[in-house]
Amino acid sequence: MKNILIAAGLAMLFATACTPTATIKKSEAYSGMYAEKPVSILLMPPINRSTNVDAKEYFHSTLSMPIAEAGYYVIPTFLSMEILKKESAYDAELFLEAPLSKFGEVFGADLAVFTIIHKWDKSGIAAKVNVEVEYIMKSTKTNEVLFVRRGEVIYDASISTGGKGLLGALVDFTASAINTAATKYVDVARACNSYTFSDMPVGVYNLNYGKDGNDIAGLKNFKVQLNKD
Amino acid sequence: MNRIALVLFAVLLFMGCATQETLYTWNNYEVTSYNYLKNTDEKSTQELIETYKKIIKKQQGKRGIVPPGIYADYGFLLLQTDKKEEGMAMLQKEVELYPESRVFIERILNMVKE
Repeated sequence: MKNILIAAGLAMLFATACTPTATIKKSEAYSGMYAEKPVSILLMPPINRSTNVDAKEYFHSTLSMPIAEAGYYVIPTFLSMEILKKESAYDAELFLEAPLSKFGEVFGADLAVFTIIHKWDKSGIAAKVNVEVEYIMKSTKTNEVLFVRRGEVIYDASISTGGKGLLGALVDFTASAINTAATKYVDVARACNSYTFSDMPVGVYNLNYGKDGNDIAGLKNFKVQLNKD
Repeated sequence: MNRIALVLFAVLLFMGCATQETLYTWNNYEVTSYNYLKNTDEKSTQELIETYKKIIKKQQGKRGIVPPGIYADYGFLLLQTDKKEEGMAMLQKEVELYPESRVFIERILNMVKE
């Protein structure tokens, strides 16, 4: 009897030791997404709290691809940007805590995605970039946060990305008008966006729609190096 | 000889993994978008227009249709460059392809008509 208890105790210890972080399913982590079934997503202009003046554009230009690839309708980036400017709503900071129903009315948006760039630091060594970025998706109907992730990302901009990852493979790097430094930093933002949104429950245009509820969700707060040798 | 076969096999496997299928073809959408966002000058506008044309012309993704927002943003740039009829036609195409865009696009079409 005593031996059995000890064995059971040991087994429990092992079990807890092997699962340092509790895993939860996407259907629990993003229950609101499964309940509301959003289709169209409005990209709010990123909020740049970092010291890099270009970080906003790096992130803004690389948001729509991963979200569309996840199967959602992304409301036209530049057309919506123009209207937000016209309506003096270009500063997304104003809407972080505000009711979003107007965005549902005007843009037909089910969700608004806020991107907050907390940090963008270049360290002198090996062209490493340290980024801290947070993504918040809020329902325009209920104002509830349906998806939130915050990441500390290290990216080595000295490593060429020629065709790395799902989206990288599609990108034609022959664009002439842009200098290579800017292209590299667009890569950094792309990597952050793709990594984060790859955890989203997929949308109606993805073949896997409605089938990913039992998949394990990624960490809400993550720390990752996105390109290693 | 066997070793060569093994290497070839490994290479093939690797290539198989590298060509994951996506829903859409984007060309150099992100880089030209960045450039337009940053500069919004004649050159970056023309380059983004060229990207849109390429995306509309050839789609090799799983869905085989133009990605969300492309027709509409292309139409928007055409309107900006005084190609009103052509621009409005592109906005209509967005609605045909993605009916969920109707609310927003019709609002824009009404603004243009005024």
